[in-house]
Amino acid sequence: MSEAVEAVEHAAKSGGGGTVEYIQHHLTNLCTGADCKTGGFWSWHLDTMFFSALLAFTIIFIGMRIGRNLNTGTPSGFQNFIESILEFVQGQVRDTFPGHNPLIAPLALTIFMWVWLMNFMDMIPVDLLPLIGGLIGVHYLKVVPTTDLNTTMAMSLTVFVLIVFYNIKVKGPVGYLKMFLFHPFGKFLVPVNVVMTLIEELAKPLSLGLRLFGNLFAGELVFLLIALIGGTLAVGLGALFWLPLQVVLDLGWLIFHLLVITLQAFIFMVLTIVYLGMAHTSDH
Amino acid sequence: MNKQPRTGLALIGVGTVLTSMVLSGFLLGYATDAWLDTRPIFMLLFGGLGFIGGILKVYRFLVEP
Repeated sequence: MSEAVEAVEHAAKSGGGGTVEYIQHHLTNLCTGADCKTGGFWSWHLDTMFFSALLAFTIIFIGMRIGRNLNTGTPSGFQNFIESILEFVQGQVRDTFPGHNPLIAPLALTIFMWVWLMNFMDMIPVDLLPLIGGLIGVHYLKVVPTTDLNTTMAMSLTVFVLIVFYNIKVKGPVGYLKMFLFHPFGKFLVPVNVVMTLIEELAKPLSLGLRLFGNLFAGELVFLLIALIGGTLAVGLGALFWLPLQVVLDLGWLIFHLLVITLQAFIFMVLTIVYLGMAHTSDH
Repeated sequence: MNKQPRTGLALIGVGTVLTSMVLSGFLLGYATDAWLDTRPIFMLLFGGLGFIGGILKVYRFLVEP
């Protein structure tokens, strides 16, 4: 039986409690490990890992297929599409990134495509995959990996490690230390410099991860709320009013959210390029 | 390296730097005030300092590549 129908029945019995349960159920990861109840360290979110890995392999698979059948004369439509994404990302890197580093463009492309695909899982009807999962015995399923803070923070921490690595590589360990000690106020306010630069550096990965998580989590929540309009209110004759409203709202939010997921993937990519670009500017 | 000022997408990343510098200034001021029991003085002082520092950092990144 579908979640929505269950929610309706439950709501009829408990008077509105079903809506909360419906939302909470949809925002619970399929979890395994010792600390699942408390949300502690040893909790493995299997659905997040499964879907992000699935999408990563999709990118690899499509990339390999396109790469094997490259056509220089008259490329097919799909190859054209991939090439346009590639050129777009390459253009951004060329405009924004100072100096030369062969790692940056592939990294940016990977981030853009992967984050976009993971965000795109939000476009799939919220009840569809949990329903299918329920049929094969999986009772909790959160399909959008980027609505899991673990995913976004893992990506932003990876970027952070790269930032520190290239800072040390380009500026040298002493130069990196100097950045903390003598920026931005020179040698007269060293303690202030250290604290400010430290907070500023730590704010980079934090804002990067939380921005993506917040936007996608909120988007998912709005989808759930819209789904609830038809789920709990459309009983009897009321359906004539609530169901068309749900369809219109859902379509509107879908189109708007398509913009949001593209923008968020793009911003994550651009900020990665810019932060790594800042790491590559050597001090004079 | 060219001396052209950076424009376009570099401006997106610069926003975080400016904001976090102002914020860190206020935090530092708040901590100092809590330590010395002089509530508004250091908060305002370091807040302003954070703003100046943020502008300096942004300027250095955008104009002097």
